[in-house]
Amino acid sequence: MAINVNTVYQTVLLILNKEQRGYMTPVEFNKIGAQCQLEIFETYFDSLNQQIRIPQTNTDYADRVVNLDEKISIFKEFINVTSISSSNVFNLPQQIGHNNGKTSVIGMVTAPTATAGGTTQYVIGTVGGVVGADTITAAQAQNGIIQIFGNGSLITDAEYAINGINIDFYSQPTTGLTLLTNYYPKQFYRLGQALYSAGGTKPTEELQRVDRGELYHLLSSKLTAPTASSPIYTYENNQITIYPTTINSGLSLSYIRKPINPSWNFTLGSGQSYSFNESSSFNFELHPADQTELILKILLYAGVVIRSPEIVQVAAQQVAQENINQQR
Amino acid sequence: MPIPNGGLITETNRQYYAGSQQFTSDGNANQTFTSTFNTDLVVGTGNYSDPATNGYNLNNFKIFTSPNASVWTELTPANTDVDALSSGASNAGQTNLTIVANTAATGGNVFAVVNKSTGFNYGTIASKTNNGGVDTLVMSQNLPVGGVPDNTQLSIRRVTTWTMSSPNIITIPQLLALNSYVKIQLNENTLDNVHGDYEYTRLDDVINNFLIAYVGPGKLISSVKRTDVIFHARRGLQEFSYDTLKSVKSSELTVPNSLSLTIPQDYVNYVKLSWVDELGVLHTIYPTNNLNQSPYYTFSQDGDGNPIQDSNDSNTEVTSQINAAWDKANPRYISGGFKNDLNNANVLDRSVYSSALGQRYGLEPQTSQKNGWFKIDQRTGTFNFTSNLANKLILLQYISDGNAYDLDARIPKLAEEALYSYITHAILSVSSGVQEYIVRRFKQEKSAKLRNAKIRLSNLKLDQVIQVMRGKSKWIK
Repeated sequence: MAINVNTVYQTVLLILNKEQRGYMTPVEFNKIGAQCQLEIFETYFDSLNQQIRIPQTNTDYADRVVNLDEKISIFKEFINVTSISSSNVFNLPQQIGHNNGKTSVIGMVTAPTATAGGTTQYVIGTVGGVVGADTITAAQAQNGIIQIFGNGSLITDAEYAINGINIDFYSQPTTGLTLLTNYYPKQFYRLGQALYSAGGTKPTEELQRVDRGELYHLLSSKLTAPTASSPIYTYENNQITIYPTTINSGLSLSYIRKPINPSWNFTLGSGQSYSFNESSSFNFELHPADQTELILKILLYAGVVIRSPEIVQVAAQQVAQENINQQR
Repeated sequence: MPIPNGGLITETNRQYYAGSQQFTSDGNANQTFTSTFNTDLVVGTGNYSDPATNGYNLNNFKIFTSPNASVWTELTPANTDVDALSSGASNAGQTNLTIVANTAATGGNVFAVVNKSTGFNYGTIASKTNNGGVDTLVMSQNLPVGGVPDNTQLSIRRVTTWTMSSPNIITIPQLLALNSYVKIQLNENTLDNVHGDYEYTRLDDVINNFLIAYVGPGKLISSVKRTDVIFHARRGLQEFSYDTLKSVKSSELTVPNSLSLTIPQDYVNYVKLSWVDELGVLHTIYPTNNLNQSPYYTFSQDGDGNPIQDSNDSNTEVTSQINAAWDKANPRYISGGFKNDLNNANVLDRSVYSSALGQRYGLEPQTSQKNGWFKIDQRTGTFNFTSNLANKLILLQYISDGNAYDLDARIPKLAEEALYSYITHAILSVSSGVQEYIVRRFKQEKSAKLRNAKIRLSNLKLDQVIQVMRGKSKWIK
């Protein structure tokens, strides 16, 4: 569920009326697209804050809080984190996802082998003798987005599962199919809930976030001193410190990850024309409901780029109108 | 309904009444057994599966095995013993111990070697080397003085018979026979704490329920910190403990010759002190009130009456003369004469002459009793009794605040709603931007629900009232 980057690019070019007003290059589009995606993404949280204070209708599809939550849910993550040196201090998922700065890897070729089994397991990126093949660890695979292309076409998630660094197809892929794996690490954006489980049959407890000033008061008060059944944490310097200090494992975090930047990539066709290359591109991750607003926002910036006040004005009006409608 | 079926009860009848949960072995080593008791399983430190360790004494349960679910054997190291025989003499001061080849002995410090007759533990088996009919065991420690003589009867004993690495999940490392039975049995005092537990709701549950039902968007309390709810819930429990909840704390004590007893650790206030007669009937011991009071300070004084200080500028003190006078006082002199002490409530144990004594005209009712008095010495934190109570068995009934121990942190279900109202009002009354009429509304609701709780907990039963009222028309001759 995403917004196709090629659809957006072609629509923007169409509206810009490239023959008459100007042209937006793929590089410009990719940068402006990333900017607009982040702008819309950030408005989700402010809008949610506004809508949550307004009585909602619970009629299907009309509850704005639910609709917003649906948009945000694309970016919701839940992960177990480990402490630093068995202490009560834990790293954020960011450090895990990046795993020492692992960046996006596009084009890890996975060996296509013809096997007779009903399902076939491929190891991501392990191709003997293939130039440019890269590898990732199981932790990186778990904390990243992996896309698999067969002969250049995206294979849907429903056709396989990623287990560790293995791709398990539910049914045998076509013999001779060239599999290409793209890996994008998930980037931490905003911390949600922290949960603690002592393991076994102990119930999971929600940790309360406190600031440094509150912490001292809470630790001093016998009635509210944190316990294993009502733990608290501070969030400082990209680290989580849990109280009581005896807790050094069993922490899970929900968080919002940052949308991955869109990318419209191409191959040079005949006559040096740009031909869309799906296997090296990445779609907008926003909810399809935001496609119109996304195109309008890109147009707004495009108007600035090509110095067309008319485009800027029309796009700005449309964006403003849409915002009014959403908040009315 | 002996089997839980989706209601609030999650324990089977067997778990609740007998305190045991039974499992079947799958015939594999390292099988895990998950306890579903409402009570968490607790283990001590060290090798807590071994009754020889102190850690075992801290466990709140035992593990049993049985081939037929009828005859049960506790799963302890001693019950895993396999006979072995030393082969040749093994010298003292070395780690090598030779035994007749025995398949039960393996290395890795999983098994220990024990002298079968004396029970002496030679340590664990670090490694084993087989050489024909003889096994050479390398022990974890040197053999003791005297070594191990030839043909000594030994036992190969598993060191750890079960572990609890995750809360409430028991792992048994050794292989148990397929379809044999394993039982987790709670200790008796643990089980006692569980019985009657359905009458209460845990404070943690109250806090979670409150956050679910009373807090959120569109509600009067749109958001609140969990620690705030914890604070108000605990404060509410304290308040309820003082004047609403049943007083359940009591101690059976004997008054020593010193006539003083230390106040219980979780004491907040007393409900009643009574001495117990031979029939077990309680006789109320009254507070001294204005008869006597222990002094807080007992300064030594100079000629001008000023306190005297020592070299550290602290006031020096002397033994209280008030206490001394009270301790040696005969309560009969205060209460009025009576000839014989009546040691029980047996109405037939009174002669005409002795029971008539003490019936003076114009008695002072508050001192006209023979049960004795107590006073509280706030400085030393003790109950002090009159001399007639020395060596008497007494019952001290008192109230705590519901926060002293984990087991106390619960509220009777009859007062649960009152606690929710208490928390709601407490939060709304300190929140900014809440209209005063709303605060007042919840104040009234809190009071009404507290009143309901008090009526419910007062336990007035119609048949008991009738029984009492039957005496109303009795003729007074």
